[in-house]
Amino acid sequence: MEQFPVLLRKDHKPIRYLVVDDSVFARKNVAKMVEAFGGEIVGEAGDGCTAITEYDRTTPDMVLMDITMPQMEGIEAAERIVRAHAEARIVMVSSVGYQENIVAALQKGARHFVQKPVKAEILYEVIKYVMGDDAEVVMPAVQES
Amino acid sequence: MSFFSDDRAAELRDLFFESAAELLQNLNEEGLELEKRPQDEEIVRQVRRTVHTLKGDSAACGYQELSALAHELEDVLGREAAANSNGSLAEVVLIAADTFSSMLSAYRGNMQPPAGDELRRHILSLTQQPAPAPHRLQASFSWPEYEQAVIADAWSKGETVYNVAFAIDRQCPMRGAALQVIRNAVQDCGRLLAIVPDENALTDERDVVEVSLASEQAEAWIEKRCSIPSVTSQVLVQRVYAPIDAYTDDVLEIGIQPLIPAEATAVPVFQPFESQSTVPANTETLLRVDAERIDALLNLVGELIIGKSMLHQCIGEFDKRFPKDPLRGKFADAMAFQSRILNDLQKSVMKVRMVPVEQLFRRFPRVVRDIAKSCGKTVNLVTSGEDTDLDKSILDMLAEPLSHLVRNAVDHGIEAAEDRVKAGKPAQGTLRLSAYHQGNHIVIEVNDDGRGIDSNKLVAKALECGILSAADKAALSEAEALDLVFHPGLSTAEQVTSISGRGVGMDVVKTILQRLKGSVSIKTAPSAGTTFYLRVPLTLAIINALLFRVENQVYAVPLASVVEINRIHEKNIHRVDNHDVIQLRGEVLPLVHLAGLGRHSTGAHRMFAVVISLGERKFGLVVDHLVGEEELVIKALDDQLVATDLVSGASILGDGSVVLILNLSGVVAKLGRSHRIMMEATA
Repeated sequence: MEQFPVLLRKDHKPIRYLVVDDSVFARKNVAKMVEAFGGEIVGEAGDGCTAITEYDRTTPDMVLMDITMPQMEGIEAAERIVRAHAEARIVMVSSVGYQENIVAALQKGARHFVQKPVKAEILYEVIKYVMGDDAEVVMPAVQES
Repeated sequence: MSFFSDDRAAELRDLFFESAAELLQNLNEEGLELEKRPQDEEIVRQVRRTVHTLKGDSAACGYQELSALAHELEDVLGREAAANSNGSLAEVVLIAADTFSSMLSAYRGNMQPPAGDELRRHILSLTQQPAPAPHRLQASFSWPEYEQAVIADAWSKGETVYNVAFAIDRQCPMRGAALQVIRNAVQDCGRLLAIVPDENALTDERDVVEVSLASEQAEAWIEKRCSIPSVTSQVLVQRVYAPIDAYTDDVLEIGIQPLIPAEATAVPVFQPFESQSTVPANTETLLRVDAERIDALLNLVGELIIGKSMLHQCIGEFDKRFPKDPLRGKFADAMAFQSRILNDLQKSVMKVRMVPVEQLFRRFPRVVRDIAKSCGKTVNLVTSGEDTDLDKSILDMLAEPLSHLVRNAVDHGIEAAEDRVKAGKPAQGTLRLSAYHQGNHIVIEVNDDGRGIDSNKLVAKALECGILSAADKAALSEAEALDLVFHPGLSTAEQVTSISGRGVGMDVVKTILQRLKGSVSIKTAPSAGTTFYLRVPLTLAIINALLFRVENQVYAVPLASVVEINRIHEKNIHRVDNHDVIQLRGEVLPLVHLAGLGRHSTGAHRMFAVVISLGERKFGLVVDHLVGEEELVIKALDDQLVATDLVSGASILGDGSVVLILNLSGVVAKLGRSHRIMMEATA
């Protein structure tokens, strides 16, 4: 995987992620990317219900959420998390086919979306954008152009 | 479209599909030209005109997706495309032709057309190539009335109002979601006053989203917040200082330096209709007619011809019965007049069905290019005789076998460049397509200068597959060995082992040619190339035929394939290598006996040998009596019960009797061979 300048929180600690996807492979794939950005996986969930409890337990900086999952879909999970934690940063991860669901999730408080298959460079930019002023790029040697 | 009746609309649609097919063909040709001369601005203009016409036509028919895509392409072509594209423009044009074509066939089948994303990407890559000149994100910021009031209200309350224009990243996969993200981002910045477009789904042709918002944030902050990765490619933030009215009327164009080399993002501005020149000027003199109507007409002419021969026969009888009647002369005159007119009528109708071979050939430059490219070869296609006329139905049926041969020639026949150079040939292969008249036939040649077909390998393969027995092999002539290429079982086997590569489907070529009452022959020499000769009759419907009798049954053969007729005697017949042959002016002529499959009838009766030519070869057809020459209207024998390979059709004579028209290639293959096999069995 290509090199990305490390993205850290304002307090120079790694960004803490919760990855939600019913496919273990997809979770590992995203986790790998996120770790390459200098992040830390604090929790994983395979369905919406677990995602909510995991969020409450870990209060991560960022949630990467799949749309189609058993038991509780990503939209509902996102909605419930945002209702309980207005500051939650949720990025929806889904295939093109679920555009309507993504729009719904965005209306219910998700911050952004990433198309599957996830491309590292896009995910990186999206995370940087969603973190906004709460994150900064360390390693000034590799300046983003 | 709604103000037209359904009939009218359907007619228009048909017309559209027809002209669109024409336009796509032009586009293909222009693309290929462009590949040769990438800097030629005239070609780019031609392409642009073609795309423009397609855009207009499809929009008129309500095919929005196609129209929008064509518009995007046209847009790109406007900007000094030729100078900047370094050759990739041709590729884009060709991809566009493919994309449009698949969209058209989707429309035709009333299906949702493909989105054409690949083409979009290519268009995008075109626009990214020019050096980063100051791009223009064009935004009008012209708000609907209600929004104007909202903005004016915010303004009057002393709020800071910003106009923000977002250029949507054309690679953004989900535009509806993109719009939602933009809405969210704007709401993060402040209060959303107005947004255009307002709908939730962003349509494909819309590239710019315009927003008005009231915010307490600084311009730079808003710009950062609104530069959304993977959604927007460019953002323009503008503080509104003047009252809103100043912005409502005219279009603002703000030149800005792009942060990233983003693509140009002009809003769709309708081009003035400057070019309608692609519409042929002589449209009024052209008439589009359904082929079925012409067929019906031809059928009637055929019936007339049968009527004519009935009349002829009646007059013949009248002559015999009243040899002195003065009416005879009048009958003869009227008859002659009628047959002359009938002749002209028939020719005119036939002419209507004739189309130049060019219609068939013109698709091949693209095919050759694509195949050559995919197998890494350079192949030059040379065509000649495009103006040779051929019956439309024959032409249509030839398309498939011909493209098969062309594909094979490029894929397998012509060697890779390095092999060619090693063999002392130019690195670029040459493929020739030519068409010309030969008697009542048209010959289409497919010639490549590739490696040729190795007949020894073919024979070896045939032996291995059990298609050929060792005994057969001994008797095999060179031409017969090459004919093995067309054997269905063999070609598949070859495909698997890819020995010489002439792949599957050659049997299809042969089958179709046989159905067309034509023939296919091969000439090949190792490393000098291969030529396929496709011979087809000028027309299928009416032929001049020679009628003869064999064992009291009347048969007919096309007069065009008859070379001469000879009286022969049993004692002249020799047996050479299990063939019956006669010597004709020093030439040895194999005989084909129609009378049964065994030894021909005993007794030294006199016979005729009708010498027929079949492709390059000549045969003597042994017949008992000659009946005469007549114009026959061929009726196809579709019924599986009567149809055989030996007979290509039937016809009705003037006296109402039925005559079978022999399919010569079938007869020669069947009788010639089975005869021989029988001989071998008894020997």
